[in-house]
Amino acid sequence: MEFTIKQCVAWSGDLTTAQDWQAYSQGDKKLSDSNELPSLKQIPAMQRRRLSPFAKLALHCALTAADECLTTVPSVFASRHGDLVKTSKLISDVAAQEMLSPTQFGLSVHNAVGGLFSIYTGNKAPLTAVSAGEDTFFTALLDALAKLKANNYSQILLVYTETLVPQMYQQYIAQDEVSIACALLLEPANLEEKSEQDADVFSLQMQQNNSQQTIENSQMQVLDFLKFYYNNSKAVSIKSKRHLWQLNKSANAS
Amino acid sequence: MSNLSEEVKQLIIDTLDLEDIEPADIDYEDALFVDGLGLDSIDALELGVAIKKAFDVKIDNNSDDSKKHFYSVKTLCEFIEQSAAK
Repeated sequence: MEFTIKQCVAWSGDLTTAQDWQAYSQGDKKLSDSNELPSLKQIPAMQRRRLSPFAKLALHCALTAADECLTTVPSVFASRHGDLVKTSKLISDVAAQEMLSPTQFGLSVHNAVGGLFSIYTGNKAPLTAVSAGEDTFFTALLDALAKLKANNYSQILLVYTETLVPQMYQQYIAQDEVSIACALLLEPANLEEKSEQDADVFSLQMQQNNSQQTIENSQMQVLDFLKFYYNNSKAVSIKSKRHLWQLNKSANAS
Repeated sequence: MSNLSEEVKQLIIDTLDLEDIEPADIDYEDALFVDGLGLDSIDALELGVAIKKAFDVKIDNNSDDSKKHFYSVKTLCEFIEQSAAK
């Protein structure tokens, strides 16, 4: 299906603005190890104190991308590993027979950040949390587009977040992972009145990958997407172990 | 003011990530929850676990007594002292 991207907000280390990501897509800037986090000054200190780096990345991108429709927009929150730093600390506490922290426990579930978003904005629209291995980013995009179409929504928010997994799990990680969040405000391309006439129209296709590829791609799909979004190419195809994803981009003719 | 109250205040700050608050900012007799310091129900659970760990006291989660014990730093200190004396 065809769609437009009204807002794209991404944050990874010191790549924080559209200009940074443009430079990244052209090879002028690189991903860094910087742990710089958004300050989220708009959230009261008493609420902000419970936000992990994972939650800060996600909320900053979500709140910025959906600024015009915070209280009404439906959303899809996606992450491959979730806030694993929190989860693994809890598991360690279980193993050590320590009492669990109720706060950490409550905020460790996969839809916790979506919940925080909903509480802070007062948004009661439908919200899902997606995790789908290396295909998480494109699966979440597919989920968002399916909901957009099936429910005739005028907009939907996609929020993808990943932070580095704790040391004890690093040996299982095949991709070159970075801490990153990316939020997209998506709209159907066939809205009758187009406010931005020069907005690119995108389409996404998914097929099974039957080539029996056994190794994960080294690059995260969210970075494939951001490179494609900010550069001049018209199409990109990404193979994963299970799927073949194709994204197309065309200038809006109308 | 007793050492215990300073200890309890520091425990509240550390446990609940109250970054910008000093022990001196927490009033001995003022309400900790809602109107006073502004803590919420999640903080109550978290603080309960921390007090259990630090002072080895038993807390009945849903009793009215617990609400009284957790009203202020003063009531918490009294509760901890009572429990220790038993």
